[in-house]
Amino acid sequence: MPEIQFILDGKEVTAQPGETILQAAEKVGIHIPTLCFNQKISRTTSCFVCVVKDVKTGKFLPSCSACPSNGQVIESSSPEVREMRRTALGLLLSEHTGDCEAPCTMACPAHASVEEYVRAGRKGNFLEALKIIKKRIPLPMSVGRVCPRFCEKDCRRNIDGKPVAINEVKRIAADLYYDEYMEELPPLNGKKVAIVGAGPAGFSAAYYLREQGIQSVLYEQMPEPGGMLRYGIPEFRLPKDILRRELAHFQKMDVEIRCNQKLGRDFTLECLKAEYDAVLLAVGSWSSSSMRIEGEDLAQQGIAWLGDIAGKNWKNCANPGRTVVVGGGNTAMDCARTALRLGGDVTVCYRRTRAEMPAEANEIQEAMDEGVKFEFLTAPLSLKKAEDGSLRLACQRMELGAADASGRRTPVPVPGSDFEIAADTVIAAIGQRTVVPEGVPAAKRGIEVDPADLKCAGDAPVFAAGDCVSGPATVVEALAAGRKAALSIGDYLAGRKHEEPFVFNVSRGHWRSLAKEDLVYLRKISEEERVKPEFISMEKRRTTFEELFPSIPADKVSKEAERCIECSCTAKGDCFLKKHATEYKVQPDMFTG
Amino acid sequence: MANIKRIKVGTASCGLAAGSGAVLEAVKRNAGNIPVVEVGCIGHCYAEPIVEVECEDGSSIFYSRVAGTDDAARKIIALSDEGRFSIPEKRASLEKNIVTRLAGRINPVDLAEYRANGGFEALKRAFSMKPEDVVEEVKKGGLRGRGGGGFPTGMKWSFLAAKKVPEKVLICNADEGDPGAFMDRSMMESVPYQVLEGMLIGAYATGATKIFIYCRAEYPLAIKHLTLAIEEMKKAGLDQLAGREKPLEITIKEGAGAFVCGEETAMINSLEGHRGTPRFRPPFPTDSGWNGLPTAINNVETFANIPPLIAMGGEAFASVGTEKSKGTKIFALAGDVKNPGLTEVPMGITLAEIVYDIGGAEKGSVKAVQTGGPSGGCIPAEHFDVKIDYDSLKELGAIMGSGGLIVIGKNRCMVETARYFLSFTHRESCGKCTFCRVGTTRMYETLERIVAGNGTEEDIAFLEDLGPKIRKGSLCGLGQTAPNPVLSTLRFFRNEYEAHVKDHVCDAMECRALVDVKLNTDKCIHCGLCIRTCPVSAIGPDFKVDNAKCTRCNSCIEVCPKKAISRVRKGEGFNSSISK
Repeated sequence: MPEIQFILDGKEVTAQPGETILQAAEKVGIHIPTLCFNQKISRTTSCFVCVVKDVKTGKFLPSCSACPSNGQVIESSSPEVREMRRTALGLLLSEHTGDCEAPCTMACPAHASVEEYVRAGRKGNFLEALKIIKKRIPLPMSVGRVCPRFCEKDCRRNIDGKPVAINEVKRIAADLYYDEYMEELPPLNGKKVAIVGAGPAGFSAAYYLREQGIQSVLYEQMPEPGGMLRYGIPEFRLPKDILRRELAHFQKMDVEIRCNQKLGRDFTLECLKAEYDAVLLAVGSWSSSSMRIEGEDLAQQGIAWLGDIAGKNWKNCANPGRTVVVGGGNTAMDCARTALRLGGDVTVCYRRTRAEMPAEANEIQEAMDEGVKFEFLTAPLSLKKAEDGSLRLACQRMELGAADASGRRTPVPVPGSDFEIAADTVIAAIGQRTVVPEGVPAAKRGIEVDPADLKCAGDAPVFAAGDCVSGPATVVEALAAGRKAALSIGDYLAGRKHEEPFVFNVSRGHWRSLAKEDLVYLRKISEEERVKPEFISMEKRRTTFEELFPSIPADKVSKEAERCIECSCTAKGDCFLKKHATEYKVQPDMFTG
Repeated sequence: MANIKRIKVGTASCGLAAGSGAVLEAVKRNAGNIPVVEVGCIGHCYAEPIVEVECEDGSSIFYSRVAGTDDAARKIIALSDEGRFSIPEKRASLEKNIVTRLAGRINPVDLAEYRANGGFEALKRAFSMKPEDVVEEVKKGGLRGRGGGGFPTGMKWSFLAAKKVPEKVLICNADEGDPGAFMDRSMMESVPYQVLEGMLIGAYATGATKIFIYCRAEYPLAIKHLTLAIEEMKKAGLDQLAGREKPLEITIKEGAGAFVCGEETAMINSLEGHRGTPRFRPPFPTDSGWNGLPTAINNVETFANIPPLIAMGGEAFASVGTEKSKGTKIFALAGDVKNPGLTEVPMGITLAEIVYDIGGAEKGSVKAVQTGGPSGGCIPAEHFDVKIDYDSLKELGAIMGSGGLIVIGKNRCMVETARYFLSFTHRESCGKCTFCRVGTTRMYETLERIVAGNGTEEDIAFLEDLGPKIRKGSLCGLGQTAPNPVLSTLRFFRNEYEAHVKDHVCDAMECRALVDVKLNTDKCIHCGLCIRTCPVSAIGPDFKVDNAKCTRCNSCIEVCPKKAISRVRKGEGFNSSISK
């Protein structure tokens, strides 16, 4: 039989008799997606993901079954055909249930493959776990200690109240292998990036730039690198020697750190632009918000006060005496617990109730356990100095009114409820703001960037990432932002358009919408309790800056990881539905019916 | 008074459903020596049970809605004037009984009687012609497939005849599945020999060696009559075609009731013992059908058209009808019409004539008709002057289909109508093609939402976007036509959809979620019938309908002698709970 000539996407294509359009297309390098076609079994012609258009008849044909005819004109990638394929995929997905990725992985701001590193930990392979972690989290020693654990909050085992202690896997994996593990790095490609700010975002950017062969130089205004990790988070949560070990690794990665270098004082943005191929601003969010009360100057500023103590040996710091910390966030907790350890008698004033406190629940509990007192529904009115030189913080009681835009109930003053608290030290810890460097566009929360590629407005290759863009956030979020900036800068330097990867994921829903009976997975739900850390003595917690608890030993963590029920799909690695849906940018909720 | 020759009782499914079983017994008990025979359906299903008294002088007297009592039987035998029935003149003048000439007039399973009325004359004529000339004759007649597709039968036969292989297959599609369509059932029950004669002629013309009748199992009477008729035919040697060595193989295959099996490739799969799902064409069945053999599939009504066509000749057959649609069509009238039943009319008749003159619907009471069942579309009353043929209906976004014609009254909601048809197609989707299987389900869910008063304007846009994609992305006719009821109601009755989603109003007062029930105290005579009738005790002694309890079952509305109770818009009744 003679060969068949037809037109496919404008190209003249020859097909053998009996060959389908799909097969003929494959031979000329035009890939048509399909789900139901399998050469080894008979034609099913069922999924219709492989549709192509017969231009002359206007009909859509399943290319897995339709054989071309002479002179036929076929479109396999026109917008119309793509739309039909998107619809087919969307319809299929509307009936699809399950979880591609486990909820923990989806919850991680850095999208670390949580289930995978927990599995490695379960097998006792903590080096493997570390390798998986470092694909997304380049500072696992720090994150393993200070992360608020987004992953654990979404763990399905919350249904029975026992989420897996995921972060302990990260912590012990880093403790065991961080120093030893050295990434395989590509040779440097000659490009060089200046990063202003040696905090989590800056280091993360440097790490993932280096993975692309791009060298970076970190400019740090403080005497030591680490940013918030070094000067914001107190030692009892993240010991300095641990952080030093962690950051020392970057020297092995050709990352240069220049300390005591402040933007605007020691160098200018213009110099960096001239000297480097790109500049990343990762200057953090260091300016304390104002309490907007009379006598504010008499108060310490929370983040600056913490930084001051972190810069010295705590043993040389004065006892702050009667201390009032105003605020309810993590910085307020850190201030309170630091003041307590320095010998202070500490009270936290917060204008809402415990339930509304933005600080992590465990930090509030730990502060309470250590002896920090709390005055809820209390707002400061003014601060003044008494005759004896001590301070008087005038306060008033509040009550909760209607919910505001964020859903939190707004505190309303109770008339005539004013009272005074006597104090030696008052610390304002009600939030931080970004000081936007000169010559850089500003937005509400900090530096203004294009959210797609983190580039600041203008032609110059200046990017920004981390707290200085988002406002104060977590370490893991800064790491995610730093990685995103690194990928964007990498694309920019390679002359590519940066595109956010399309994240496709099917989910059975948040654990709150599920019942225990829904947890039918490959692994059974064990009755074991969640592993508990062994805190150091309360005496030490109250009087020293020793780390709160030592890392949980590897064998115990492996056992803990046994409790993971492996929510993710076992076929996620070779799922064509996922592959095509990602390629065609179809979200699972395209058709909800 | 004329002498009675015999008495005929209509015991087709329509008659039996109306109680003709008891009528038959009663007539037999009282008839004495007068022969009593069972006959099929004459099309006036609304008038069943029908008894025809055949007189010696050749005249006939019909009685309609006969009771199954001895008294009623005796009155008939006495040729009482009471209960006589005659076909309205206007209707008689519009109908043209070419295919249904013998339906309901002869004993369906009596071969001799069929022959005495001209049966198998056409076969004889066919045998006197060369097979290819028979095909030509059918082409000349311009007969198009009556199953819905409208493909020229002669052409299809010529494809099969052209295959020079020893074994070929002819299939009779008797899987009539459209809700509201019963032409084929009636033909098989009433004139099985005529349908079989059509098949024999087809087999002779095309060279087919094997015949399957694929009939849905829900038609037991049709299967019984066909089985008996085939036996009789075999006894009479009628299965021996001229010029053949072996008699024809004729097999009845009962389908399990899947709508999709009416689609030819799905039917072939089912006949082969596989799941009834369609196949991609090409190869077309005439190239490779049942077990790879060349196969042609024709519908029951198409086969029933063949004997009259051959008997009268193609030219005479083609003198009836329109330019491109020849002959007559049997329609099954159902819905909001006074005289539901079957009617055979020439192609080119107007919808108005069918609905008003034949169906007896009151002018002004009809909103639209749905042709072609769940695969078809609606045609609003203002288009009723259209002359019916395959092409004119297509232009209006509907289809001829197999002949189901559902009349939709002013009191019907078109969104609910579309929802009803989608509930059928989404259930009947065989599940093979993504667009049909999932797409119709998503459309159905959307319609459910709209009739429940929870629809949005995006829902309408969604239906309009997805509908055409389902048409384009489905392998067989089921999926390719499934969105039609939605798209065609959207085309002509968009305002109703908009009222549902924007104002949460169903002007037809049909959608339960959007209405209350209210008692008008000015009309009420406090008879208490409604209170006693209400199954959920929603009407209190104060004669107020409690809409929180009321299930909108309409019982009180139907029972009220003063028409004091009616449906009103949601919110206008007592204790209405508007949940928006």
